[in-house]
Amino acid sequence: MKTLVWAEIVKLMKQSKTYYALGAVFLIECLIFITAYYQGSAILDVLLDSLKQSFYFEGTLLNGNLILYIVLNGLWFNVPLIIMIITSGILTDEYKDGTIQTTLLQAVDKGSFIGAKYVVAIGFTLFVIAFMMVSSGILAYTIFGKGDLVVYLQTLNFFPAADAFQRIGWAFASGAVAMLFYSVVSMTLAVWIKEAAKTWIASALFLIITNLLLKLDLGIAIANHFFFPKLMDTWQAFFYHEIDWGLVWLNNTILLGYGVCLIGLGVWTFRKQDIG
Amino acid sequence: MKIIWMMALLLLTHVGMAQEVDADLMKIKKRLDAVQRFTATVVLDLDVPFIRMPTKTAQMHYEKGKQTRFSSDDFVMLPKRGLDFSFDELFKYPFITVDRGMETRSGQSLKVVHVIPSDNRAELALATLYLDIINQRIMQSEINTRKEGSYTLSMHYAKPSDILPNRVEATFAVERLKIPFNFMGKDTQIDRQQLKSTDKKTGAIKIQIKDYKF
Repeated sequence: MKTLVWAEIVKLMKQSKTYYALGAVFLIECLIFITAYYQGSAILDVLLDSLKQSFYFEGTLLNGNLILYIVLNGLWFNVPLIIMIITSGILTDEYKDGTIQTTLLQAVDKGSFIGAKYVVAIGFTLFVIAFMMVSSGILAYTIFGKGDLVVYLQTLNFFPAADAFQRIGWAFASGAVAMLFYSVVSMTLAVWIKEAAKTWIASALFLIITNLLLKLDLGIAIANHFFFPKLMDTWQAFFYHEIDWGLVWLNNTILLGYGVCLIGLGVWTFRKQDIG
Repeated sequence: MKIIWMMALLLLTHVGMAQEVDADLMKIKKRLDAVQRFTATVVLDLDVPFIRMPTKTAQMHYEKGKQTRFSSDDFVMLPKRGLDFSFDELFKYPFITVDRGMETRSGQSLKVVHVIPSDNRAELALATLYLDIINQRIMQSEINTRKEGSYTLSMHYAKPSDILPNRVEATFAVERLKIPFNFMGKDTQIDRQQLKSTDKKTGAIKIQIKDYKF
């Protein structure tokens, strides 16, 4: 298994597609930064406009923490698409190039083979999130500096700079769980569909439907808890005044549980499938 | 309109007394006038129903006749009304006073005085001051402005001889936030009843003032 995982890492590192993906993530980040700067000013104007009659403001809220919060809002739709393309490609490229037959004709267990691909997909996703977090953090704090974060979630919440930094860190960690779910979905879709372009379309459709269903209220609280699109926005829980840690752990555990089930389903399907 | 009627009534019922400014108030004003400038550290605890803000610290710079300045490393929100501890704004223009007798508040006997600026340029319309005539200082005030609503101040002092407070509680009306839906979080629930409720809310700020430097 270790050798297979290492082989998958080498393959991923050797393909130019991986670097294009990282470049794309960075480009998206930069674009979101530019829009976040202007959006940040507009958001502050709107948030504080009705308070201007009663209060003076001292200090600025347009800082690295606000920019990072806006970046967080923008990343979770664009980045999963790139992650899904790369992770599904780990398997679909093998089908396209015919290398899957070559590998599996040797003494390689099918379960270990697909398991290694899931492990690398998960590792790559975590690497992309870490890359995003570090690069956007460096850019935001270098250009805009530190300061208090203001977020409107039912109430106007102000967080001191150090607290905001921690909350943003936790939000990236929680977002990473959602991204892991997407990457596992795309790998499982690749197992079923096998063809790259069709898998990308299916993955994109899944992403769009998930985002559309985010606001759907199933009417029953317990059903809403287990409905996966609702779990994708768990990172926002870190920007309420009081963090509901119970909800954060529950949502992420359920999402990870779905991920494990999907991996099981993918491995089971792959083992049952013909190689060709 | 209510304020105008109150003022008219006060002027009519106390026409004889209104010509003279209250002597106790003048003694307090004289003490306040002696404060020419100071800097102090202020610790602010904002209590507004729809704002969650941690305790903030700022530096206050006061100089008589000038706008009071605040500086802070943090972002701070300061109420436009309620930080005038020296009552510069109230005593800026000529005024008349009406003695409303004595009243006991928090176990303390206080003299109640209405202050009515007689100059149209004054932003304040009517102030009710609660005076501690033994220690010669203002304990509470209810102030009605011409354009910016009303607010109340409750002052606490560290020592009987102090003229500037070490703790102030200000309550004021604050407009409800009007946030467009596109700035709300994706999963933010909208409480329609709450949105329809009154536009004005009462806010309060508790201010600790320490390290006065004159």
